[in-house]
Amino acid sequence: MKIRVILQSLFIILLFLIFFINLNSQRISTTKHNLSSGGSGTIKASSESEICIFCHTPHAAKPRNPLWNRDDPGITYSLYQSTTLHASLGQPDGSSVLCLSCHDGTIALGKVASRSTNITFNSGITTLPSGRSNLGTDLRNDHPISFLYNAALAAANGELRDPSQLSGGVTLSNSKVQCTSCHDSHYSIYPSFLVASTQRSGLCTNCHIRTNWSTASHATSTRTWNGSGTNPWPHTSYTTVQDNACENCHNPHNAVTPVRLLNQSGEENNCISCHNGNAASVNVWNEFASTRTSKHDIASYLGVHDMAESTIPSSKHVECTDCHNPHQAASNSPAATAPNASRLLRGVKGINLSGNAVTNVSYEYEICFKCHSSASWRQQAYITRQIVQTDTRLEFQSNGPSFHPVAAPRGNSEVPSLISPWSSSSYMYCTDCHSSADATSSQKGPHGSIYSPLLKKRYKLTETNGQNNNDATDFALCYTCHDRNTAGKGILQNMSFRYHSSHVVDEGVSCSTCHDSHGISSSQGNSTNNSHLINFNTSIVSAYNGVLRYDDTGVYHGRCTLVCHGKAHDPYTY
Amino acid sequence: MRYFKILCTIMIVTIFFWSLKASAGISGSKHDFHSASWNTNGEICQPCHTPHNASTVEKPLWNHQLSTQSFTVYTSTTTDATIGAPSASSKLCLSCHDGVTAIDNFGGRTDGVITMGSVGTGSGNLGTALTNDHPVSFAYDAALFAADAGLKDPASAGISPLLKSGKVECSSCHDVHNTANRSHLLVVSNASSALCLTCHNK
Repeated sequence: MKIRVILQSLFIILLFLIFFINLNSQRISTTKHNLSSGGSGTIKASSESEICIFCHTPHAAKPRNPLWNRDDPGITYSLYQSTTLHASLGQPDGSSVLCLSCHDGTIALGKVASRSTNITFNSGITTLPSGRSNLGTDLRNDHPISFLYNAALAAANGELRDPSQLSGGVTLSNSKVQCTSCHDSHYSIYPSFLVASTQRSGLCTNCHIRTNWSTASHATSTRTWNGSGTNPWPHTSYTTVQDNACENCHNPHNAVTPVRLLNQSGEENNCISCHNGNAASVNVWNEFASTRTSKHDIASYLGVHDMAESTIPSSKHVECTDCHNPHQAASNSPAATAPNASRLLRGVKGINLSGNAVTNVSYEYEICFKCHSSASWRQQAYITRQIVQTDTRLEFQSNGPSFHPVAAPRGNSEVPSLISPWSSSSYMYCTDCHSSADATSSQKGPHGSIYSPLLKKRYKLTETNGQNNNDATDFALCYTCHDRNTAGKGILQNMSFRYHSSHVVDEGVSCSTCHDSHGISSSQGNSTNNSHLINFNTSIVSAYNGVLRYDDTGVYHGRCTLVCHGKAHDPYTY
Repeated sequence: MRYFKILCTIMIVTIFFWSLKASAGISGSKHDFHSASWNTNGEICQPCHTPHNASTVEKPLWNHQLSTQSFTVYTSTTTDATIGAPSASSKLCLSCHDGVTAIDNFGGRTDGVITMGSVGTGSGNLGTALTNDHPVSFAYDAALFAADAGLKDPASAGISPLLKSGKVECSSCHDVHNTANRSHLLVVSNASSALCLTCHNK
């Protein structure tokens, strides 16, 4: 009996509470957009209890729909701009003006048409306080809005979904992208009133379909930040590269670098914040250390690189994105073999062996040729030689008299020193010689080295007459592929040239004095005088009686006419 | 059992007083024009109603000249409702609130000159452009509910009593006779926007 009374009492009390308490199950009431005194956010009115009133009024509304209760800001905004933007941006229109009537920070939140005096807010707040949601009147660092998103735009951009295929919550308003395309001001199912989750950039990818993105490292890596240094993900709560996805680098609002809405200032800093060992598995930034005097010095250029620049840039510079495409780069697995470009270089533009621009390189050297072929500002000759050629592309042509097999296999059987698996049919990468000198690094990239010109290992280019070179480290680079002294094949075994040992060891001659390691172009050299990469260093070797020449006289035989360190070869034959 | 009775008594008494608080009536409300200069008879009901010789067209026992204005109705790219010209009881409201029809044109009088526009009654004067006013005279039915995810099911308990023949009219939000004594003669208190959120699923 007693239990029954208690249960009945509880039931009646419950009914009583339901009757008197407004069981507010409405969604906006629980969001930050409930600016009423009953709101749950930190910005709220001191006593106004109505929720809708801050934006809407049932009568005498402002001209804008839906039943707007606020003034238009009447501001001319600075708009997003980028050289790769295909959309035509106008001043904010449609519902975006409504959002900006609070979010540009110029109009008091409590200034509504249906009240004769401004609604007052707690803590004396009038306009939207500064912070991520206050966009200001400079919208250059915000994702563009109020532009027509039609099939033509998708086609022009090339990496936008056709607007008829939009799904997943993103909507257009009168065929335009507006604030409401990503945000639904009434519902906060996802943070920041977003219409879809930003995890793995589920929201962004409704519109942005980047080639190869689904397999790119920035979309798939589960690496986390170790908490040191700059937070690579300053505006998200996600903790892995995979979850941050687009937002690893981009920030749709109040981006630090406005153009392309980047998280960090300074192009490379967007990469370094992870690739300094704090998130990415390899500390690539270490390869650009000040001790690495020969490097692709990404930190010394600012604002020169542009995504829309011509394939051969008009101004000298280098940034990470000149060689890597962060939307497509993936781990080099399965490992590429020369000359094919690694997946780390996927989606990068380049110059092919014929000198034509390609959108996506097939071969690694095509990236190098962007700057190291016909660019007017290209690196000048590092070593003064008989035949001067600074267009590297011409040095590797397959019809040249001799060349290292970067763009074509050499097919030269007169190279007994090759260490297996190298053979006369092998290809090699530029980066087999030019790469970061870091034995512990799994990276092959030409980032930075203590050996100039950006060489993987030591290559002694200078020489002093009579200096003994009997040190395997002097030409460690060459000896990587060419056996130094193994019986039956080593360079110093004098097989291909029976005076290798006396030149290199006894006289201290550098390989570079006689050999031009890239190659000799067909327009400048010939197979008699320039086989075996012979192209003398004229700062060391001079003419004898007006003749400075090498003659190939058959397999392992030749003739040199020159003067070297005062010693006349008049001519010497072997 | 005694405890149970006391509990019930307390609640019944509380509800009783709560209901008392909510009653007011037209007398003394903004719709009480008995002392208005243009209401020479000094009656409260007469500007709108008459027991005899009422309008043969409009109910209930309508006594005021009807608006002859044509109204521009609300439009929006996001509305799914079919909004017609004001009809039913909304038309009666607009026979004053159009700001054009003289408010003293009742009881057969047609030479009145006092309009809501001329006496400057603020937000109550809707004018003939209803583009900036919440739409009325549209069917709030299952089809509309299905088309607009921002609306609640009109069949739900809180909404159906507000609709008139299945339509939203002025009287869906406003209680012309002020039985509840709320500001703007609202049928439900709009504290916490409760009235708006009765229909709007936001």
